[in-house]
Amino acid sequence: MIRRFVADLHVHTVLSPCAAVEMTPRNIILHAVECGVDIVAITDHNAGDNLPAAIAAAQGLPVTVIPGMEVETREEAHLVVLFEGMRELAAWDKFVRSRLPGRLNDEAKFGPQFVVDAEDELIKVRPDLLLTSLDAGLSEITAKVAALGGIVIASHVDRPAFSLVSQLGFIPPDAGIDAVEVSRHMDPETARRKIPGLGSLEVITSSDAHAIDDFMAGPKTIFYLKAPTLAEIRLALRGMDGRSIAVRAAGDFTR
Amino acid sequence: MVTVRDILELVPCEMLSGRSSLDSEVRGGYVSDLLSNVMAQAQPGWIWVTMQGHQNIVAVASLAGLAGVILAGGVRPDPETIEKAEREKVPLLATAWPAFEVAGRLYGCGLRGR
Repeated sequence: MIRRFVADLHVHTVLSPCAAVEMTPRNIILHAVECGVDIVAITDHNAGDNLPAAIAAAQGLPVTVIPGMEVETREEAHLVVLFEGMRELAAWDKFVRSRLPGRLNDEAKFGPQFVVDAEDELIKVRPDLLLTSLDAGLSEITAKVAALGGIVIASHVDRPAFSLVSQLGFIPPDAGIDAVEVSRHMDPETARRKIPGLGSLEVITSSDAHAIDDFMAGPKTIFYLKAPTLAEIRLALRGMDGRSIAVRAAGDFTR
Repeated sequence: MVTVRDILELVPCEMLSGRSSLDSEVRGGYVSDLLSNVMAQAQPGWIWVTMQGHQNIVAVASLAGLAGVILAGGVRPDPETIEKAEREKVPLLATAWPAFEVAGRLYGCGLRGR
């Protein structure tokens, strides 16, 4: 049976230096329950260290956590990459670590990068700079994610910075992406008209939250799926086998 | 008049594609790594200095009717970028010089960007 799932496929935790300190995995999951969000993708900048805490925090709760990351390509375009499970994320993380520049994070300038557990306890501070581009181009990244069975969603393509469109002018043909995300500043119908090179790609929206208020009030995407899995999400993005999506600007998703 | 051939003399660089356009006139220059911005601002006949090596630079140069693209700072383009540039006859020049130095040298030869 196909059911309705409210999904936010782009959420930052305290591991992202620009995120507010209340963005612990546990707090995000508790607020997801409160707001009726069924699927949450944890997508920190070039890192996935807070996924174990998010998955543990969601145990026994009606929220599914999708392991992900928001990576920055060599072209300085941001992509949300999502994986079926932690095994795939671990393989991806290994690749990402090998392509980070290895510079140290300047906490005073960028903010701290906290790795925490499911009870909000600090495990460690990630010392290397995460807010930077990988030494890997768009096509290499999309091919690698596909090889691991993942999904690539181009982040906030309507934004003037760090988007595939701002960096590359238009969505390249055969870019290897599965969908594009627009921010709360643009609705999908406008995106259809305005995003150059969009073609038949599906347009979704996510909160890209760096603070709890943004997570609660931010836009979400409704998925019609048989189960809250990445394979089902992929079918919905392709409009296959009765799966589909609907974009929601914001508001209360509790039923 | 400045041509693509002249630029090969002015800036130490390697020509990766577009030899058939060596005698095209260069009427001005532009520096940017944001392709959306280049599409909006660069004028036909200008040479474009960038650090972006993605194949979209060829489409942008072609679309805007640019005289060519200089990849500055030792950037090596993606392999498909060179193939595409050769097909579309877009001169692609790669130099170890930083973009600032390239722009300064071209400006000194009379090229302008407005």
